[in-house]
Amino acid sequence: MLKRVHFPASPLPYLLVAPQVLITLVFFIWPASQALWQSFLIEDAFGLSTEFVWFENFEALFHDSQYLASFWRTLVFSGAVAFLSMSFALALAAFADHVGRGAGTYRTLLIWPYAVAPVLAGALWLFMFNPTLGILPYLLEMVGYEWNHHLNGTQAMLLVILAAAWKQVAYNFLFYLAAMQSIPRSVIEAAAIDGAGPVRRFFSIVFPLISPTTFFLLVINAVYAFFDTFGIIHAVTQGGPANATTTLVYKVFNDGFVGLDLGGSAAQSVILMALVIALTAVQFRFVEKRVEY
Amino acid sequence: MAGIKLENLIKSYGDTRILHGIDADIADGEMIVVVGPSGCGKSTLLRMVAGLEAVTAGRILIGERVVNDLEPSQRDIAMVFQNYALYPHMTVRQNMAYGLKIRGMSRAEIARRVDEAADILELRPYLDRKPRQLSGGQRQRVAMGRAIVRHPQVFLFDEPLSNLDAKLRVQMRLEIRKLQRRLGVTSIYVTHDQVEAMTLGDRLMVLNKGVVEQFGSPIELYERPASVFVAGFIGSPAMNFLPVRVEGDAAILPNGARLPAPARAAGEATLGARPEHLTPDEAGPVAVEVEVLEQLGAATLVHGRLEGTQHEMTVQLDGVRAPEAGRIMRFAPGQLHLFDAASGKRLAD
Ligand SMILES: Nc1ncnc2c1ncn2[C@@H]1O[C@H](COP(=O)(O)OP(=O)(O)OP(=O)(O)O)[C@@H](O)[C@H]1O
Ligand SMILES: [Mg+2]
Repeated sequence: MLKRVHFPASPLPYLLVAPQVLITLVFFIWPASQALWQSFLIEDAFGLSTEFVWFENFEALFHDSQYLASFWRTLVFSGAVAFLSMSFALALAAFADHVGRGAGTYRTLLIWPYAVAPVLAGALWLFMFNPTLGILPYLLEMVGYEWNHHLNGTQAMLLVILAAAWKQVAYNFLFYLAAMQSIPRSVIEAAAIDGAGPVRRFFSIVFPLISPTTFFLLVINAVYAFFDTFGIIHAVTQGGPANATTTLVYKVFNDGFVGLDLGGSAAQSVILMALVIALTAVQFRFVEKRVEY
Repeated sequence: MAGIKLENLIKSYGDTRILHGIDADIADGEMIVVVGPSGCGKSTLLRMVAGLEAVTAGRILIGERVVNDLEPSQRDIAMVFQNYALYPHMTVRQNMAYGLKIRGMSRAEIARRVDEAADILELRPYLDRKPRQLSGGQRQRVAMGRAIVRHPQVFLFDEPLSNLDAKLRVQMRLEIRKLQRRLGVTSIYVTHDQVEAMTLGDRLMVLNKGVVEQFGSPIELYERPASVFVAGFIGSPAMNFLPVRVEGDAAILPNGARLPAPARAAGEATLGARPEHLTPDEAGPVAVEVEVLEQLGAATLVHGRLEGTQHEMTVQLDGVRAPEAGRIMRFAPGQLHLFDAASGKRLAD
């Protein structure tokens, strides 16, 4: 029989977890339950009376063509952000894995964008693409392409995708680089001796071996694009023009704070919350389990 | 088929020189073993031949071709790594077929070669498994298989057996030897294990701090070691060394005992005597104070000190012996070696 170690009962552990519990309660559990409660209520236009309506807010949402459109828009947006930032990060990591000298500097430079706040990232891209002042519209005009994301919804979408993807590249890069460096050197060398050139080695050896990282980043980037891009969109397009860049999370804000439809906005955020929980569950379920070779 | 020629091969990392001009002429179909202590540059030498390290100076020829500037894939070599370096996401069959597929070989030919290799290495039952589902010995064989399906001109081995347990190591050692003989492929085999070196190599290259100490057949190295380093490295248990003063044709031990000098010399020198070349003899000149006995069954190792000195000595006796500790045993020397005291080089017989 192994003897259990007994610690004397002490308030210390409770004190130590208390701040974390408090933060979770105040900043997550409480607002979340507020939102859940709100989503069952309808307020009249003057805020004089509220009525408990069960799932009417949700029903209304799924009959609202605007909401459904923003759902699809968000999927496109997230897919594009994840794909762009991950493929770009992957390419950078593949090169960084090769360079010997100056690798440290190169890596540090690549990590910087991650430290930039979303709103600032948005502002940065906004300046670059400002139709009247920005450098890129100026260059585009020289090749005969007119850029004005205030008017053109596709261009606006492209711009927020670029800004959001750019910010996430650094994060993805770090994970990809770490994953690549954990592949034994000799495996790559064996492939070189077997006659595989760098490109072939990358696609037949490196990429399959870092697939767990790709999966992990896919979920992380999806979550990021779904929820963390509010700041960028708010700074760059405010969801416009004509709702062309209104993603789900932006719509929550727009309907709630601008449109003052508190019940509908709350219902939307409950749906978003459910999505996060689902994505996180997927993440835990599959990343915990080591991916099989 | 092709031999390998190394001409004044030099390797430096920055200002640090790792290999100081290696020369070697390896015949077609020969198996040479590069042996030396950790960090002496064995792997570096092998990786230069493979094309995985750049050559600082000198030339490498495979067959008639200078391969200094060729990619590993263009050198027609195959390498077996210490950690096997199998592709973890591919089956055994895919691992072996990978190099052939890249070379654009037909499916039928690939299948034929993989099956052939699988038969030679008894890997048939495992062809559809992934490396992680194999034992260490089986993985080792897959690594071998991946090398032989290519029918290369040269095999390179970097300590391929050092991750196996002792018994498997002996078995695989034999298999590698048989396989190399059967295929007749020129091979360079790197190891730090002198027993592996002695049993595998047609010739041994003893490397020390990036310099070739001696390059010759195993028996040559055993019987006529070129330096104190080689003498101490080859043979187990290691040779005994004693500082001596040579006067005429007598070598005088630190305790005053006189032995016949095995070579002409004058003044200070180092005398070498293998533990198995000392025979018990009541009238022998070498007196050893016994300290510890090691019973190996077939032999007994006597550890002690040269009588009246602090110089440690080891003697190997046949069968089971039981001389009690503290007793003095006397031995007659058989074959002796004499080395220069300063340079450690062998003195001419
Ligand atoms: N990339 C490198 N940069 C600088 N020095 C290196 C590099 N690679 C190896 N060395 C040095 O070269 C020397 C020889 O290394 P090498 O790997 O050839 O030794 P080895 O004989 O194979 O040793 P072991 O038996 O431990 O494998 C070592 O002193 C090592 O520190
Ligand atoms: Mg080595």
